[in-house]
Amino acid sequence: MSNILKLETEYTARSALTFAGLDLILLIVSFVSRPAQPTNMIDELKELFKYRDLLKQLVVRDLKVRYRNSVLGFFWSLANPLLQVATMTIVIKYVMRLDIRNYSAYLLVGYLPWMFFQMALLDSSQVVLMHRDLLRKVYFPREVLPLSVVIANLIHYILALFVFFSYLLAYRVFLHGAPIMPSAFLLPVLMALQSCLIIGLTFFVSCLNVFYEDVKYLLTALLNVFFYLTPVMYPSELVYSQLAKTHHPILYKLYLLNPLNALIDAYRKTLLPPFSALALKGTPVKSLPLNYGILIGAGVLCIAIAIAGYAFFNSRKWVFAEKV
Amino acid sequence: MTYAITLNGVNKGFDLVRDVHRSLKSAILSFRRSRAKQMLGLKDITLSIAHGETVAIIGKNGSGKSTMLRIIGRVYRPSSGTVQVDGRMSTMLALAAGFHPELTGRENIFFNGAIMGLTTAQVKEKLDKIIDFSELNDFIDSPVKTYSDGMLMRLGFSIAVETDPDILLIDEVLAVGDAEFQKKCYSRINAFRKAGRTIVFVTHDLEAARLVASRAIWLSHGEIAMDGDTEPTIQAYLASLSHHDQEHAAEEEI
Repeated sequence: MSNILKLETEYTARSALTFAGLDLILLIVSFVSRPAQPTNMIDELKELFKYRDLLKQLVVRDLKVRYRNSVLGFFWSLANPLLQVATMTIVIKYVMRLDIRNYSAYLLVGYLPWMFFQMALLDSSQVVLMHRDLLRKVYFPREVLPLSVVIANLIHYILALFVFFSYLLAYRVFLHGAPIMPSAFLLPVLMALQSCLIIGLTFFVSCLNVFYEDVKYLLTALLNVFFYLTPVMYPSELVYSQLAKTHHPILYKLYLLNPLNALIDAYRKTLLPPFSALALKGTPVKSLPLNYGILIGAGVLCIAIAIAGYAFFNSRKWVFAEKV
Repeated sequence: MTYAITLNGVNKGFDLVRDVHRSLKSAILSFRRSRAKQMLGLKDITLSIAHGETVAIIGKNGSGKSTMLRIIGRVYRPSSGTVQVDGRMSTMLALAAGFHPELTGRENIFFNGAIMGLTTAQVKEKLDKIIDFSELNDFIDSPVKTYSDGMLMRLGFSIAVETDPDILLIDEVLAVGDAEFQKKCYSRINAFRKAGRTIVFVTHDLEAARLVASRAIWLSHGEIAMDGDTEPTIQAYLASLSHHDQEHAAEEEI
């Protein structure tokens, strides 16, 4: 047991270094991929601010169109994740016998941010092509398109979180389940960091999909893979204890490098109490506290990805009208 | 005197094969191959349009008319040269571009206004005028998918004109709807001109150009063939057409 904890502190120092290295690489990449037309990010942001009402209109339009024609409206978009979570709970708990008390809460707290991530990326791969008629006719800052996708999905996510909290509350009141943690105050920070990550990635995806049509297929495939590589269905401690036991430090480091892993882990650890009684092949697995070193590293990485994505998008956005 | 629109030495090139790399696979396979050849869409265009002018851009298909309008409208960035625009510009949107079928006419007005760079409050101020002009009062709260093409065009025209831009760009359709509504469009355009606004439009309809334009620019193969008063320019253009027809009839067919 102490072995694991020692390993963990070691990883904190190392992962911070690795994150710094990766940030550097990202910044170099964003500078080396020389802009086709030089742009000044501050000027671009000012111009974007002038068009904030267009951004608002796009988001409102997206939400209205999605909910207008159905009586149940918003609940349809909740039905899918809830059904998924219910199914997975049954499979994991009663078929695969992974014994975590209140598993569905641990699953939901990882699944909702994953949905936000997945939906925003998938929507963004289509958003530029969907607005091709507009792009070919009118000037407007092109970045409102991917941004509107992220904001609309963020609003879904916030609504879904309300449902999650009422579930927790009901569980607490009626079944003496997991309390709402004081560390939940970190939630807005986590959401902001995740939004940065998603914004950066949607800039890359929406832009690349204009030039290469198979980006959306690649994206779907990658999302399928990353669903299992991200600690959504299982707590990260399982990966940790497995990898610590068999000594593949590079694998765990690679695992930590995905900022989404760090964020989903942090969501789970700030919103829910540490899980109890989890065993892997008979060996008990201890729940680990939130590692702030990793979280800060992941946060910096998220912001770096957002900046790099915006620079990448800006250097190519005025060619969209000629390509779509 | 400041000009509404100034183009200085504008060149615009396009990739000759539009979709050189449409998939990652072909991009990787042709990694080291040279880039596509460029075709010049516009060649060394220099011109100034004063505030209050109404300019028709004429020319054959593929002569660069729409490219020029898009360069002015900042939809395309020039390959070289500079474009300066003074004042708020809006573009009249053709049918499908600016409307979402599921939303009502009223909601689409707000969306279109935002595209033209207006704030929601500014659109709200102009909402009544837009609806009145379009004569769609009874349908304004129905989804746009229930509109006929004529109704959509009326709405589009009303938004473009009643949002009161300093510069209005129009591609092809100058006046829309039935004969009566077209008359209304022309008189609105004339009022617009008299208020000192600038209009630049691309058209094949030379009668429309004669009716409203104070100046015509004839483009040929991406270059300005003639730029001057409407009537002489149109005459020269027509003369070149008949001349061209006689000499290159065979070539045209290919």
